[in-house]
Order: sequence, then structure tokens, then C-alpha cells
Amino acid sequence: MMRVTRRSILAAAALLPLIGGAAVAEDIELTYAGSGGGLAQVMDMLFDKPFTEKTGVRIKPLATTDRVSAMRAMMQAGNPIWDVAELTPVEYATASLEGWLEEIDWAAVDPNNLMPDDAKLKDGGVAATYSTILAQRTDKLPAGKKMASWADFWDVATFPGPRALQDSVLDNLEFALLADGVSAKDVYTVLSTPEGVDRAFAKLDQIKPHIVAWWTAGAQPVQMLSDGEVNYTSAWNGRITQLKKDGVAVEAVWNGGGLKPSYVGILKGTKHKAEAQQYVSFMITDPVRSAEFAKMVAYPGMVKGLYDHMDAEAGRELPTYPENLAGQFVTDAVFWAKNMDALQERWQEWLLD
Amino acid sequence: MSIGPRLTLAPAVALALLLFAVPVAFVLRESLFAPDLSLVHFERFLTRGVYIAVFEKTLAVSAAVSTICLLAGYPMALFIVTRPPRWRPLLLFLVLVPMWMSILVRTYAWMVVLGREGIVNNLLQWLGLTDGPATLLFTTGAVYVAMVQILLPIMVVTCYSAMTEIDPGLVRAARVFGAGPFRAFREVFLPLSLEGAVTGWSVTFILSMGFFIVPALVGGRKDMLLGNMIVNQVGQGNWGFAAVMAIVLLASTVALLGIVRLVASRFLYSPREEQA
Amino acid sequence: MKLRLLAALLFAAGVLFLFFPILIVAPMSFSGDRFLGFPPKSWGLVWYRAYFSDPVWLAATWRSLRIATMASLIATLAGTAGVVGLAKIPPRWRAGISGLLLAPAIVPNVIVALGVFMLALRFGATDSEATLVLAHAAIGLPFVVMIVGGAYRQSDPLLEKAARVCGAGPFRAFWTATVPPLAPAILAAGIFAFFVSFDELVIALFLMGGAETLPVRIWNDLRFEINPTIAAISTFFVVVTALAMGLAEYLRARASRRQGNT
Repeated sequence: MMRVTRRSILAAAALLPLIGGAAVAEDIELTYAGSGGGLAQVMDMLFDKPFTEKTGVRIKPLATTDRVSAMRAMMQAGNPIWDVAELTPVEYATASLEGWLEEIDWAAVDPNNLMPDDAKLKDGGVAATYSTILAQRTDKLPAGKKMASWADFWDVATFPGPRALQDSVLDNLEFALLADGVSAKDVYTVLSTPEGVDRAFAKLDQIKPHIVAWWTAGAQPVQMLSDGEVNYTSAWNGRITQLKKDGVAVEAVWNGGGLKPSYVGILKGTKHKAEAQQYVSFMITDPVRSAEFAKMVAYPGMVKGLYDHMDAEAGRELPTYPENLAGQFVTDAVFWAKNMDALQERWQEWLLD
Repeated sequence: MSIGPRLTLAPAVALALLLFAVPVAFVLRESLFAPDLSLVHFERFLTRGVYIAVFEKTLAVSAAVSTICLLAGYPMALFIVTRPPRWRPLLLFLVLVPMWMSILVRTYAWMVVLGREGIVNNLLQWLGLTDGPATLLFTTGAVYVAMVQILLPIMVVTCYSAMTEIDPGLVRAARVFGAGPFRAFREVFLPLSLEGAVTGWSVTFILSMGFFIVPALVGGRKDMLLGNMIVNQVGQGNWGFAAVMAIVLLASTVALLGIVRLVASRFLYSPREEQA
Repeated sequence: MKLRLLAALLFAAGVLFLFFPILIVAPMSFSGDRFLGFPPKSWGLVWYRAYFSDPVWLAATWRSLRIATMASLIATLAGTAGVVGLAKIPPRWRAGISGLLLAPAIVPNVIVALGVFMLALRFGATDSEATLVLAHAAIGLPFVVMIVGGAYRQSDPLLEKAARVCGAGPFRAFWTATVPPLAPAILAAGIFAFFVSFDELVIALFLMGGAETLPVRIWNDLRFEINPTIAAISTFFVVVTALAMGLAEYLRARASRRQGNT
């Protein structure tokens, strides 16, 4: 009891200057938990600065990782220092299941109904999409042949050469099932049974000896492809587009790619919910702005009409381009949020075996 | 006078308590909750073979890396300390310069160097030592190379600073009394410099135990260390299990260093303790 | 004589090994390519230009230098004082307290990071350079305690006693008799504490998302692409420190020549 009292006094003392500051000025600052690096610079130019000009609300971008842990700590301390957060599918699903996110009033955020229903969740919106795809060095393919699916990736007789995959159970189980003949729409139905998981690991057993590297950072597959370290690897689509522009003979296979929405959510307990919704609306519901963003980073949002503001050549490099979309499956965030821990453990056992 | 030691200790103790012990206790406490009071996290660590295997690997890699550092670093420090004093700062400086390069950058440099089409492989093939590209990257060997490169300067400096404490007159005295150079080294210099060697080994061992970026980038699929697993668990928000692994790491390191010190203390010479 | 040659060769081999990444990274930094590759396919200063014209990179550099210097100073002062204090307290306390001072080196930084973040949230001290400096000082502390402590145990307590006998006060005796022989160890400890902070990524990631330190900046960049900017920065640092330390050494040598001692 003693401890609680003391803590609340300290917390109150810490809050005093904040309250004083808020009373004086209208000056509102939203903290946006993003990825930092080059992406933050693009966002600053396309979203943050224009938003401040329009509304007077300033955006403070943070470079963050381990967002699940950070949010859990904030919720425990009752001090959400982020207002808006960019979340991977698993992060979003975890935060949503734990109740760390504010409900979004879509009537206010998307009054013109420009977002497809899939992109408007109770407590999150889709800000961007990226895909884990199969990338191949076209100059190292056997004459006259080209990979077109994960089954080809598994086919070491037709396509010899070093390969890499991500050190991650998410995606690899799906890829294995696709390679084993499961159709994209049935992947999670199969995976939610113990037999399905066994089947995926059994398929992975076949490819394991041919994988020279299990990458952990998104820049690694790009480096390995350009170094000639591997001929085939899973990779994030945006990196491959860039690599191709830089003159390396690479190509993405969209068929079988794992499409992942990148969500934005508003943290429960934020003092600026209205402004946060305004910012989310500004960021994700404008087709012109979203098209500009997609041209620069290859991670398009889901707003309708985005491709009207983009030429077809640039569009073809994006995961949500209709042609590319056909063969991909959408990563089931809730499945992974619920099963990550157990499957990750099995994955590690499998890797060490 | 009695207040003196307490005062000099105060800043360090305050720092370690407030910025380390208290916050870490916050996290380690989680090991006992799931979410109610429970030992399931400990049970999980002990019953799933994978964690014990990773733990053993971590111990083995750390011991090997710090031993390699000692075997290379001690003679290097010895070389520096036997040079004329005006040369020493320069030589020491040569050892320290590489630390200015970010560990991340150095690790990526190894990836470029050790790759299938990297210069080491090109050199090996040019020399005719190998026919095709040898697998150098994504191996435990690559992890050793990258870790030793990072930790070796620490070993050299630690050994060096202990060696400069040794009164050269003692070695000279031994020579005057008829000991050969090797015997004078073994009987006088070696025991006196052992403190530095033990400290150096301990420091590099401790640091090795916490590595995670290097094995993740240049190691193979079996080169996962406990540090990687802890980072993964924190990434997933599993504080309880991350805390268990941190406790295992902490306890095993303390125990091992205690043993090393106990064994070493039989050979150590310490003027302060002899007077006490 | 043979032994000496062997020692020299071994030292040279060791230094060559330590320099190996630099010998690779330095040429790559003058690459005109967009990707790290050795040897580069084309040459140029684009990545130096990219670094020096980018206020974000420069700010991160200054921030890291500032934080590392402060953290190293705090850790070295507190740690050195702590070593002396440790030797003078009753032995039954010694094990516990030295354990406390050494422990930050053994607990993975990610655990420290999470804990400090949790605590800082309660005090509104997140996203603060001061918090990061103190946290870095705490994880630098063990290295100071180990390195200075090792040297202190070896140093001769009679010197300090002699100074006391000759009438020096405890502080003066410590400062004039105990510290000078420890100076190399203190300096070494300070340098390590500096690098512990300068290269620290995980705690900075948790605490300083808004104001990236150099490792955070490098990390964020590497997650998306590997370009030779990081090679340029690293090379620049190595060259600058080489020059600075060379200059310091030259000045020191000249000063001591003037004083007439070698």
C-alpha cells in the first residue's frame, strides 16, 4: 500500500509541469511510433509537415522496435507516451486482443468512404501493405527457366543453387504449405490443425539442407542477392524493387507472397484522440498522398483510387496491384498473435535439430 | 574516517541501484507470474531441450571466444609492455582504433568478406587451396572471428594495464639472481600479471554471453545464443520467459566467474589482501 | 632475440586482424555503388557527401558523442571512487556490493532497457537524454570497477600509507599516491565506458526513439537498406581518432622532451 501511495504522489508530481503547459498553449504534439530511418524521412515530407501546416498539430516521430513490450509497459504504468503507433500484423493483433487501442470512429476518419472495409477495423486502420515474396537472381537461373511459385523454390533439381529464408516461423509455414500444394485460401485452415503444422514442418525438412542462410534483418536478403551469396530467397518486396532499379538482375515472384497490412492504431488513454484520428485520416484516406508514398517506398496503402494516380509501370512493382494480388495470401494476424509463442518454440527446436 | 568509504561508494551504488537493480528487478519479477504466481516459465526452460541446448552453446561459444582472446591478447599486451615507454601509447592506440567502427558495420564487413564471392574465398581459390567457394559465412567459425575481433582490444588493454603495475625491478632482480629469461617470466611476471589475465577473460566472457547481433548476422541456423532468444522474447512481449532466461544467464555467469576467481586466487598475488 | 621477433610478428598479426574490417570498410566507403561490395565497382565521394549533408546523421553523431562522453565520465568517476570505497569497507559487505556494481555487465541490455523504460514511464523520464546517459553510465560501471579494481588490487597500499605518515590528508594521499599508478587503468576504463555507450543500441532504442543516437540511426537504416553511408561514417571516425590521438601523442612527446625527460 505504501508503495502505491508513494508512486501516485511521484506520478502526480511528474504530471504537474505537463498540466501547467497544456493550460497555457493550444500547442498540441502527437507522438507517432514508427520505424525511423528513411521511412520516417519520407513520412515527414509527405504526411507530417503538410499535416502540421493544415492543422497546427505537430507530429513527433519516434523510431521504435519491440512495440509489444513498449505498449505493455505503457499500459501497466498507465502512461501511454505514444498517441499513434504503426503496427505489424502480429503487433496489431496482440494490441487489439489485449485492449490497448482506442476504437476508431470511421465516420469521422473516412467520411467519403474511400477505404475498403477490409482496411477499416474496429481499432485500427491499414496504412500500408508489404509482402514477403520470393526473389530470384534472373542471371543465375537455368537456361529458359524461371521460378513461379514456392513449389519451384523447393524444386532443387530444376533450380539448383544456394537459397535463403527468413529466420521466422511466420511466413515459412505458409510457404511450405503452398509448396506442398495447399491453395492460398486454405493455408490457415490447414495450419490451424496440428496435422497441418506437422505437414508444414515436414515440407520444410526437405528444403532445410539447401538453405545457406536464415536472415534476420530486412537488408540481409538484398545484400545476399547482390553479393551472389544466394540465388533465391524470401524478401520484402520494397527492397527488391530498389535492387532492380540499381541494376541487379533480380525479379520478384508475387505468386505465393505473404501480404501484410501495416496498421495504425491509436493508443488507449491518449489525451489527443481527436487529433490522432485526424492524423490517421490525413495519412491513409487520401489516394493522391498514398500514391506519392507508394512511389517512394513501394508499400502502398489500401485507399481506393490509389492506382489512378500512378502509372502502370510503377504500379506493377506494388503488392496490391491487382495482377500481383491474385496469387498472394494475406497473413492472418490473429492466428499468429495466438499461436506465435508455441510455433516459434517449435521453429527454434527445428532449426537447431 | 569511517564515513569515508561509504561516501566514495555512494555514487556508484546509487547509480547501480536506480538505473540497474531496481529496473531490472521490475522485469525479473515477471519470471514468477503467468499471470498469477507460477513457476511455469522456469519449468518451460528446463523441460524443453531447445533452451538447454542454446544455453550450452552460449557457454561454449563464450568460453571459447574469451580463451582465444586471452591466448592472442596476453602476448600482444606483453609485447607492448616490453617496448620502450615512448612507443607504448602508439602500439596501444593501434589496438584501440578498430573500436571506433560501429559493431554493426564491422559485422556487415565480415559478411561481405566471408561470402561465397567475397575476397577470402577468391583468395583461397586463387591460391588453389579450394576448388569452389568454401562455406565461411553463416558458420560458427564466422561467429568466432567476428566476436574475437570485437573483444580482443578489451583483452589487450586489460592485460596491459595490469602489466604496467608490475615493478620491472622484480623481473630484473630475478635475472640478477640467476633466473633465465623464461624462468624469470614464469616465476615472477606471469603470476603478477595473472590478475589482469583473469580480469580480461572475465570481461570478455561476460560480454560474449550477451552477444546477439553478431550470431544473428554471421552465424548459421544452429548459432543461436541465449541473447538472441531473450531479445526475441522481449520482442514478442513475453516478459516472464525473457526474465527466466536472463536469470539463468546471470546466475550461470556469476557461478562460473566465481569458480574462475576461486581457482585463480590460488595463483594470484595481491599485496592488499596479504596485509589485510 | 628470436623470441622477440616472434612476439613482434604475433603482435603485427593481431593488429592486422583487428584492422581487417577497416581495410575492407574504408575502400567501400569510397564506392560509387548503392550497395556494399568489395572491391567496389565504381568510386566516388557520394557517401561522404550523403553523410555530411544530412542533418539527421550529423545530429545523431553529435548526440552519441555527447552521451558517450557524459556516461563515460560518470561511470569512471563513480566507478573509481567505488573501487577505493570497496577496499575499505568490511569484507562481509564487499561481495554483495561488488556484485551489485558488476551485475549490469551480465544482464542483457534488453532487460535493462525494458526495466529502465518501465521505471522511466512512471517518472515521465522517457525520451530523455539524461536517462540514457545515466543508464549507459550504469552499464559502463562494471568495466570501470573491473579494470580499475584489478589495477588497484595490484597497487601497493604502502604508498598511500607512506603519504599519510608524511602528513598528507586522506584525500591528498589518495590523489597523489594512489591515483598516479592507476592512471593507465582509469584511462582504459574510461575508454571502455565510452565505447559501451557509443556502440549501445538496445537501451537507446527503447529510450530515445525521438532523438536517434548513431547506433539507432545505423540500425534503422540497415533495416531497410545497406548503403555505404555507414561505411563512410565509420571510416571517417577511424581517421579522425587516428589523427586526434596522433596529435595528442605528438604534443605529449614534445612537452616531455622540453622538460628534458623521455
